[in-house]
Amino acid sequence: MNLFRRKRQYRAAPSSKRVSAWLREISENSKDVSAELVETPFGVLTLYYVDDLINTERLNMDALRPLKKNPWTSYSDIERIIYSDTIKRTTDIQEINERLFTGSVVCQLPSAPDEVLMLEVPTNVQRDISIPETEFSVVGPREAFVEKLETNVFLIRKRLPIEDFRVKNITIGELSKTKTSVFYIDSIADKANVNTVIQRIKDVEYDEILGSNALSQMIQDHSFTIFPAFVNTERPDRAAAALAEGKVVFMCDGSPEAIIAPSTLVEFFTSLEDYYLPWHIASFVRLLRLISVTFSIIATPVYVAVLTFHYEMIPKDLLSTLIASRSNIPFPPLIEAIFLEFTIELLREAGARLPTKVGQTIGIVGGIVIGQASVEAGLTSNVLLIVVALAALASFTSPVYQMGNTIRIIRFPFMIGAALMGGIGIAISFVFVVTHLIRLESLGRPYFAPFFPLRISDWRDTFVRLPFNVLYKRPHQSRAAYRQKLPAEKIGKKKDIDE
Amino acid sequence: MSVKVKEQFQVSPVMAFFLIHAMQVGIGVLGYQQVIAKVSGYDSWISILLAGIMVSILISIIYYLLNHGRDDVIGIHKALFGRWAGDTLSFLFIIYLFILGIVVLRTYIEIVQVWVFEDLPTWVLTILAAYFLYYAVSGGFRAVTGLCVAGVFIPSVIFFILLMPLEYGKFLNLLPLFKTSFDKLMLGARESTLSFLGFELLLLFYPFLKEQRSSQKWAQIGHWTSVFVYVVLMIVTLAFFSEPQLKMTIWPTLTLFKIIEFPFVERFEYLGISIWMVIVAPNIAMTFWAASRGMKRLFPMKQRSAVIILTILTVVVTPLIEDRENIDTFNDIISKIGFWTVLVYIPFLCLCQFLAEKIRKKE
Repeated sequence: MNLFRRKRQYRAAPSSKRVSAWLREISENSKDVSAELVETPFGVLTLYYVDDLINTERLNMDALRPLKKNPWTSYSDIERIIYSDTIKRTTDIQEINERLFTGSVVCQLPSAPDEVLMLEVPTNVQRDISIPETEFSVVGPREAFVEKLETNVFLIRKRLPIEDFRVKNITIGELSKTKTSVFYIDSIADKANVNTVIQRIKDVEYDEILGSNALSQMIQDHSFTIFPAFVNTERPDRAAAALAEGKVVFMCDGSPEAIIAPSTLVEFFTSLEDYYLPWHIASFVRLLRLISVTFSIIATPVYVAVLTFHYEMIPKDLLSTLIASRSNIPFPPLIEAIFLEFTIELLREAGARLPTKVGQTIGIVGGIVIGQASVEAGLTSNVLLIVVALAALASFTSPVYQMGNTIRIIRFPFMIGAALMGGIGIAISFVFVVTHLIRLESLGRPYFAPFFPLRISDWRDTFVRLPFNVLYKRPHQSRAAYRQKLPAEKIGKKKDIDE
Repeated sequence: MSVKVKEQFQVSPVMAFFLIHAMQVGIGVLGYQQVIAKVSGYDSWISILLAGIMVSILISIIYYLLNHGRDDVIGIHKALFGRWAGDTLSFLFIIYLFILGIVVLRTYIEIVQVWVFEDLPTWVLTILAAYFLYYAVSGGFRAVTGLCVAGVFIPSVIFFILLMPLEYGKFLNLLPLFKTSFDKLMLGARESTLSFLGFELLLLFYPFLKEQRSSQKWAQIGHWTSVFVYVVLMIVTLAFFSEPQLKMTIWPTLTLFKIIEFPFVERFEYLGISIWMVIVAPNIAMTFWAASRGMKRLFPMKQRSAVIILTILTVVVTPLIEDRENIDTFNDIISKIGFWTVLVYIPFLCLCQFLAEKIRKKE
């Protein structure tokens, strides 16, 4: 954390200068700062503003037109005429500096050039609310966060129209001045969690905050782990659901992602769709996801281990198929596997960087042509091709993109372990990963819950998702102030027959 | 209580179940049948039950000692025998734990060498294990407990797979019951006690349990789960092997693995030995944690440096134990020490505690 704690000094607005001189200077220094002389029947005034940040139409309608119609002589007259909450009189250069560059107009009278009036008329440029891309779901709402923080707050507030839902704003980053909001439900969220999040965000002194995901890496508990510490989501419904579980959510202005803290390993494999679908189907899908993730990590290493050391393990009939497919291949299994894994990773990365339409073409060219050709050329066995392709497919089932990345990378140490010591090597890697997971914490709460610490009651929503009347408690992880989701008298009541 | 453990480092009383069970079921399960069957033959499973009852009583004795001493064994030693004598006894106990850890590690490496990789040098796995032990133990007691939980849950599938050889079993072997004489049964029970060793670590991790008194219930359940596993596996073994054959098999459980077949996997022992690492790892980590914790309490040192010393010693010592006979000797010695510790020394300690309290009351 030392990296973010070092003290640095940027050129701040010199408070020793006179306001009038300073304003003239900055309008000359930077092209996008305009200084406009406005003539009205009652006198002349100078406006300073950043062209692209303000809404000119509103400036004309709300400020200039009344000023041309009503008589005025001083700042207090103007304040009365332009009736607005955001108008403010100041002589402080620091304050002018801050507000001028976030969408305010500075209005200066020739009679008192060192005192100014400031009026907020920011533009409203923003992307429309669109469909979630990385967390798409077939059923459920189609809204995703956008880059504008106010809109995102609205999207969450809409789902939690209660006084208890609190928003705290913190501005961080000397250069980026990133507005960061922390959300929580006051009566449910654990005070310690809220304070930790706010404190950690305040402690960040990195000068440019690139966005929610960068911030989440700066405040996570262990910086050397490969596992993502917090779930990030682009779905407002997921953020609202997390808040209702007593978690803390934070997001930066300018990034369409909210970060949920604290998180557990299992949450990275849950999707909100699990709650929109009937519980049997949801449970099936979730089990499928967990199994496929295990498969994705283990499959290629097992292939390497078995074919390098333990071919006795394979039954005779299967062995002949394997031998037939591998007989012409000049490489040991590890090289063969790494070659194919590398190809798949290449396809994925190229597909992610290219525009959608080209990306699809690349997928077809890569997947079918390269795969088929390398088998025919005798570079890889087709059994391994199937295994690797399945494993790659399985790694995409994680609903949180970050976890998918982790799964793809963590496969390689397993593979190397398998190539060195077969099954024992895989077991060693496995034991290390489990120990690592047990040691990890997210916001000071155990990451490996509900397996350790053992919380059997949370297992209702872990491997499976049981019906809602059974899920009447919030999970332990968030330390919610009250855990009941149903009124106490409704829990566990069953009607007798014919009653 | 003279030693106070912060609540954030303590674990819930349920964990006593996992800690006791994970410590008892370890490397011994792979080959305990031969030793017992040599003495009590087809009635071996009765011997195990007898030993189970005995150990259950011993666990109660340990709880009596700890509940009244209100400390771990090192504090109790100090309170009962004074600084010098007490600390010497504690030091001997720590050495015992450390050697126990090394013997388990070396035995596992031997199994890997015999069954999987014949020419794998001992030091390779030792160095990996040493790094792992440092990593696990530096996570503190909670991390080690978590490993124990994983070491109970993940391999539990194997238990059901080990029932598969019953397909070829002959239960008539077991009849008639009690054809072994009573003194032989007791001798078998004595041998069986060795399989249950590991619960004595309770003497050190007791202060790390929340609601210590109520944890005895869970400790007992953990112990009886181990008894259940041992008895069932013994019955499977007895039904599967003939008596002379069993007497010649060093690792009957691994031999049982060999005949398990699935449509996609044969030679299950490769898989079994790999998965067994998940059982052995918490076992060794726990002994190392306990030994380093003891060193921290005994000497003015940090537990982290204690672990580093222990791991370095492991890397040096383990490859020195070379062949089968050496390992066997070590196993024998450590089980003898363990046996006398739990069966004689702990009751003796308990008696001292009892007398000390009586004397204190009179004064």
